[in-house]
Formats: sequence, C-alpha cells, structure tokens
Amino acid sequence: MEVKINTKDSITTAQLIGRLDTPASQEISGDFENLNQYAAGTVILDCTELEYISSSGLRLFLSLRKAAASKGGKVIVKSINKDIRSVFMMTGFLNLFEIQD
Amino acid sequence: MKKEKKQRSLSTRLSLWAVLFAGVIFLAAIGVFFNESRVAVQRAAIDNAMHQLDNTVLRVDNILEQVKVATDNTDWLITRHLDAPDSMFVYSRRILQNNPNLNGCSISFEPFFFKDRGLYFSAYSLNDDGEIKTTQEGNEHYQYFSMDWYQLPKLLGHPCWTEPFLDYNPEGFTSNDMIISYCKPINDRDGEFIGTISVDLSLEWLSQTISAVKPYPNSYTIMIGKGGTFFVHPDTTKLFYQTIFTQTMLEPDTAITALGHAMQAGEQGFRELELNGQNCYVLYKPLGDTGWSVGLVCTTQDIFSGYYRLINTMIGILVVGLLLMLMSFSSIFTKQLEPLEELAWQAETIASGRFDEDITESDRNDEIGKLTNSFRHMQQSLVQQMDELKQINEQKGRIEGELKIARDIQMAMLPKIFPPYPERTDIDVFGQLTPAKEVGGDLFDFYIRDEKLFFCIGDVSGKGIPASLYMVVTKALFRTVSSHEASPEKIIYALNEVLSQDNDSNMFVTFFAGVLDLPTGRLHYCNAGHDAPVLIGHTGAGMLPVDSNLPIGVMPGWKFSRQETLMDPDTTIFLYTDGLNEAENINHQQFEMTRVIEVARGLQQKEEFKPTVIVKQMMESVRKFVGEADQSDDLTMLALQYTKHQEDLTYQRSLTLTNDLKRVPRLNSFIDEVCEANGFDMATTMQINLAIEEAVVNVMNYAYPEGTKGDITIETKANKSEMSFIISDTGKPFDPTAKAEVDITLSAEDRSIGGLGIHLIRQIMDHINYERVDGHNILTLIKKLSK
Repeated sequence: MEVKINTKDSITTAQLIGRLDTPASQEISGDFENLNQYAAGTVILDCTELEYISSSGLRLFLSLRKAAASKGGKVIVKSINKDIRSVFMMTGFLNLFEIQD
Repeated sequence: MKKEKKQRSLSTRLSLWAVLFAGVIFLAAIGVFFNESRVAVQRAAIDNAMHQLDNTVLRVDNILEQVKVATDNTDWLITRHLDAPDSMFVYSRRILQNNPNLNGCSISFEPFFFKDRGLYFSAYSLNDDGEIKTTQEGNEHYQYFSMDWYQLPKLLGHPCWTEPFLDYNPEGFTSNDMIISYCKPINDRDGEFIGTISVDLSLEWLSQTISAVKPYPNSYTIMIGKGGTFFVHPDTTKLFYQTIFTQTMLEPDTAITALGHAMQAGEQGFRELELNGQNCYVLYKPLGDTGWSVGLVCTTQDIFSGYYRLINTMIGILVVGLLLMLMSFSSIFTKQLEPLEELAWQAETIASGRFDEDITESDRNDEIGKLTNSFRHMQQSLVQQMDELKQINEQKGRIEGELKIARDIQMAMLPKIFPPYPERTDIDVFGQLTPAKEVGGDLFDFYIRDEKLFFCIGDVSGKGIPASLYMVVTKALFRTVSSHEASPEKIIYALNEVLSQDNDSNMFVTFFAGVLDLPTGRLHYCNAGHDAPVLIGHTGAGMLPVDSNLPIGVMPGWKFSRQETLMDPDTTIFLYTDGLNEAENINHQQFEMTRVIEVARGLQQKEEFKPTVIVKQMMESVRKFVGEADQSDDLTMLALQYTKHQEDLTYQRSLTLTNDLKRVPRLNSFIDEVCEANGFDMATTMQINLAIEEAVVNVMNYAYPEGTKGDITIETKANKSEMSFIISDTGKPFDPTAKAEVDITLSAEDRSIGGLGIHLIRQIMDHINYERVDGHNILTLIKKLSK
C-alpha cells in the first residue's frame, strides 16, 4: 500500500495506491495523521488506484472527514471504483464525502 | 283516563261498602222493630175493630130495644082500648110517628074479633118516605092470618122477630123493601090470644144504619139470621136472597163455612180469611137474644195501612238517607283520595320518563301524606340515581371504547401473520392468544435475528388492564433486550432487573424465553416460573425439562439458569400459558397437563407436528372440555417447528490463522480461492473478502486481547443453495451480533468511528449467526448462492 501526498496551494492531494486492508490501514495511519494537518483546507483523496478498502480504511477516511469538519475544510474523494462505491453506499459514506469522478 | 276511572271506583266502592253496611244495620233494626210492632198493631187493630163491633151491636140492640119498647107500650094501650077498634089506627100511626126509623106497623086481630068489622081487622100504617099512611089491610086477597108475622107469636105465645120477607099486599099499601118484623101476641085479660102487633124494620135501612159505622175505609158490617141469611150486607142484592153459605156452594171454602157455623152458633171472636180475593179479618158477635150474628169485615190492608205507611215512610227515609250517605261518603272519599289521584297521575308521568315532574310536599299527617312524601323522596332519589347511572354509563361507554382500542393495540403487538416465514424452509411457527377479558396479560413473541429464532411466552399475574400494561412493557423489553443479547438467561435477567425495580403493585410474569440457532438446531432456553413446554417429534412427545427459577419481577438480582437442547428435524416445541392446562369446565375440573400430553401424544402417533395443527387440535380439545363454561383465563399457545434438513455439502475447505493482523493477506488470498472455486464474480468476491476480513479482525482485536495468542479457524462449506463461513476461535466470549447497529444517516460530526465492520458484514452476508459452544466463539456467515 502506498500513499503519495502532494500539496499545492491550499489543496492537498493524497494518492492511494493498492489494497487498503486492515494491516495496510495500520501502515498508513501515519500518513493520514499528516493529512489531518491540511484538514482546514481541501484534501483530495485520489482513489483512482485504490483496489480495496476495509472498515479500518473507512475509519481513516471518517477521522479525516471529522477533522475537516471541525477545522472548516473539506474532503473530496476522487475516482472510486465500482466495488468501493458499493462499500461507500453500504456505509452511508456517499453522503459524508464529496465524490468526484 | 284509565287511572281516573280506577280512582273513582275506589271511592265509590268504599262509599258503597259503608252504605251497604249501614243499610244492613238499619234494615236489621227496622226488621226487628216492625216484626215486633206488627203483632202489637194487629192486636190494637183487632181491639179497635172489636170495639167498633161492640158499638154496632149495641146500636142494633138499641134499635131493636126501641122497637120492643114501642111495641110494648102500644100493646099496653091496645089491651085497654079493645072496645074502640078505630083507636087501633091511631096507635099504629103513633108508633110510626114516634119512631121515624120504623117502616111500618100493623095491629091485627083474630077473625071477627070486632064483630062489626067483619072477618078482617088489621090497622096498618106505613112510613112512605116520611108520609105516614094508615089503612085497614086485611081482605080476601090479603089473608094476614096465614102470614109469619101473625102466626109466629100466636104459635109461640111470646114476641119474636121474623125472618126477612117482602111485605106484599096487592090491594093495600106496600113497601118495596125487604123487612123484618117484631111481632108480639096481643092477649085479652084472660090471656087469650086475640091478635098480633107487628112492627116492621126496613132491612135496607137497618143495613145502611149499621153499615154507616166504618172503622176502616174498606170495612163493612154484615148480619146474618139464624139460617145464615144476610140481614145486613153492603151489597143489598144479597139481603134475604143469599146466605153466608151461598158462595161456598160454588167454591167450597172451609174458612167461610167455619165462620158461618161459628156465627150461627152465637159465638164471639175473629177469624182471618180470604174474601173476594182479599185478606180480611172478620170479627163476629151474636146480637142479643135474636139468634142473629153481626160480623165486621176488615181488610188486612186497612188494618195494617198505618203500619204499612210507617214501613214505607221508614224505608223512604232509609233509602234517601242511604243515598245521601252514599253521595256524601263518595264526595268525602273522592276529596280525601284526591292527592292519591294526583300522585297516580304524577307517577304515570314519571313512569313515562319525565323524571323532573314536580311533586308538591304534602302537609298531611295521614297515610296519604306519608305516601306522597315517600313517593316524592323516591322520585328525588330516582333522579339522583338516574344522573349517577347516566354518568356511570357514559364513563363505562368511554372505558369500553378505550378497552377496545387497548385490545386492538395489544393484539397488533402480537405476531399475527402466519406463516411468518414462508420463504424459509428451516422454521415454521404458529401462535394465538385468546384473552379472557377485553385485554389480557398473556404475551408471546418471536422473531429471527442473525439466524437465531428468538421466542418467548409469558403470563402476567392477574387479568385486565393492569396485566395488559405489564404485558406490553414485558414484550417491549424482550424485543429491546434481545436485539443485542442472544442468551435467553441474560435476556430474562435484564427483564427481571427492570421489572422488579419499583414494582409497587407486586406484579410478576411467568416467562419462558428461547433462542433457537437455526443453522444448527441448538436451542438455548431459560424458564422464569412458567409451565414447561411440550416437545413433539419423531422420537415421541413429552415435557421439556426446565428449571423453574423465579417469575420475572419478583426478586431483583436473581440469577436465571440457562438450559439447552438440540432440536431434531421436524420437532415442534409447544408453549402455552396456564389458560390451557387450568381451563375449567362447569364442574370446576381443570384440563390439566395429562390431557395436554394426551393430545400431544395423539398427534405424535399420527406423525403430525405442524404448529397450526397442534395449536388448533389443542384448542378444539380444550373447548370441548370446557363446554358451556366461561373462559376463566387468557389462553395463549405458541408452536415452533424446526424443519431444517442438512443438505449435502458440495464444497469444504478451511484455514487456520494465528491472531496476527499480518495474516490478513493470507486470509484474502484464501477467500479469493474459495470464491473463485464457487464461481463468485469479482465484485462479490471482494465483498465476501471484506466481510470475512472484518469478522476475523474483530476476533483478533476483541476475542484475543493484546498480548494473547490464539488460533482462528475459517471453515467454508457450500451446498447447492448457500455458502457458509464458520469462524471459530478459543478466545474470550465475543458476540459481534450483539453490537448496536450504526446509524449511517448521521452527519460526519455525529457518527461514531466504530461499528462499521459488523455493519458491513450484515450488509454483505445473507445471514449472520453467533454461537458460543464449548468455549468456542462460533460465528457463521452465510451467503446464498444465486441460481
């Protein structure tokens, strides 16, 4: 699992690559803590190359979303595939995040 | 109108009775009085009549005496002047002049007594209506020597009275009257008979004279001669021609005959007999030495006329008096009963529904006053009672309406769609509740969560509204607690903790809760003082062994024991409340468990285990037993049949992992392989991966606390219809299904960070089922295979 964080102006883009299963979530929890710093601005989670997400991954997303909400920023989830979209749907995440194709 | 008529008749009747009573008394008194007085009146009347008769006799005697005296005086003169034949005319004339009552007088001599006068010499004077005519009467046509009046004294030698006769002289003076004559022989100084002096009395005159005496208006006097000939009679045609016996010749009358004989015999007295159709008294008395008899005939009517008049007057006074009495009594009674009439009218009005009819208070102290005031009091009470009754009825109506709603609500709370799980092949359920009153205290419930059938049956102490309230709370609590607790003893414990707190009304519930694990048929149950259920299956029918424990609500903190059994396929568990085994017939005999078991055995022998059949058969039997008797208690029955038959496995694999998160990729690849082998598409494979990963990570995180080691086995099985993933571990008890559901509709701020894993599992899998068996957590996840 690999996370590429790229900040430009007030927009921070995190590119998530690979399977975000439970061990991977633990792996990248540090990266998400970093991302929380940018939560006042706009954080784009680029999921173009995200293959899989488990509940622990979803929790990372939700923590970030809560930080953004408290700081007045926003989180955009970009380009999720069909399988992950169905997971988003099952968990109500589609309503929590701004989804971009 | 009817009422008035009745009223009037009462006063009339009272008056009539009073008058009748008085009338009877008066009549009795008058009757006695008149009966006594009649005798006196009769005696007085007869005395009076007899007195009159005496007077009459005296009068006749006087007349006769007068005749005698006149005759004697003349006789004396005649015998001194026999030398002067012409003086005889003077004497005969003088007698008539001195006695105007006399009809005639003849002084007659023997043939040739006066030689110069020839054969006949009879100086005769006749009183012809006051004019006295005198003549010499004897001649060849009137040979007086042969007449009675001449012969009788000559033959007898002393004076006598003749019988009546008609003096007829074809050439001399003659009277047309019947006469009687007093005739006396004239003797010379030597005592030789020389002639007769005869004085005539008109019989009619005598009769009139005597008849003038009338003691009573219709009375009359009769006189008869020696032969019974009428000398005196008001009917002058009878004089001389008829005797007292004449009438009896035609119609024999012993009374008249006896009277005639008595009078002839010269007796004195009176007789009561019928004459000419009238009741008469005949008083009779002989007339001196004449041999005649005088009779006074008085009609009874005359004698008693005064008496009868008195009776009539008395009766008249009595009738008028009684009528007046009747009228005044009637008037008085009517007046006295007037308040009653008014009361009756008011009662009628009240009876017609007008309860506000005003009844004035009576100031009378008598029975009517008391009745009126009692009635008034009754009416007031009635109005009051009616008002209360109306209020009560309104309240009752409202309560009844509310009870009906309550019943509807209560019934709506019970499962009522049967069969409840038509799509399922592993379970069949049927239940019904028949409350004894509008609302009842029985309850039952069942539902499936995570491939477990939760069911319960309970009976709240008492009946009616209090029981129903407790029932509602109990049922709601069962649902709430069992939504995150799959152990029946814990569910009951939780219920007991809540319901025994502040249980001031000391209500309690006997309760049985069961949790049937549908994939395995394992039944966990806990009994809180309820009747033991009946099991009916292929192997037999009998009671399920239960610990009795305590009913819910009795003692907080009570530890309820759990029991378990394995349900064989097709076996039915039959639950009921005591409304079944304690159902009473009219002889107060109970249905009892023996009959329940009997019915169950009967069904078992027929291999009939279907819940609907069992419940209906049980219902039919108990109804038949109870018969006409009222249902004494709520009756609830619930039957659950486990119908799962294990299908042949088509696929089986397992994987055992240590509790290390790093082992997750190994799990993912295993799942990928399984899914591929069973033909799942990529998307489904990913979802199953996600579900299994979440389940396994949960075990790693919670069943094995940090630092502890343990294995996790993932066993996959597939048959034709479904695929099961059985995740088991030996860690501490952990039931992920007991976790509360996350609310995915909340905003990011409000959402909890946890609970997503189990939520995803539920979303992805068709069934989830947790069991703790023999120190193992066993979580079964089932995904149906699409055909």
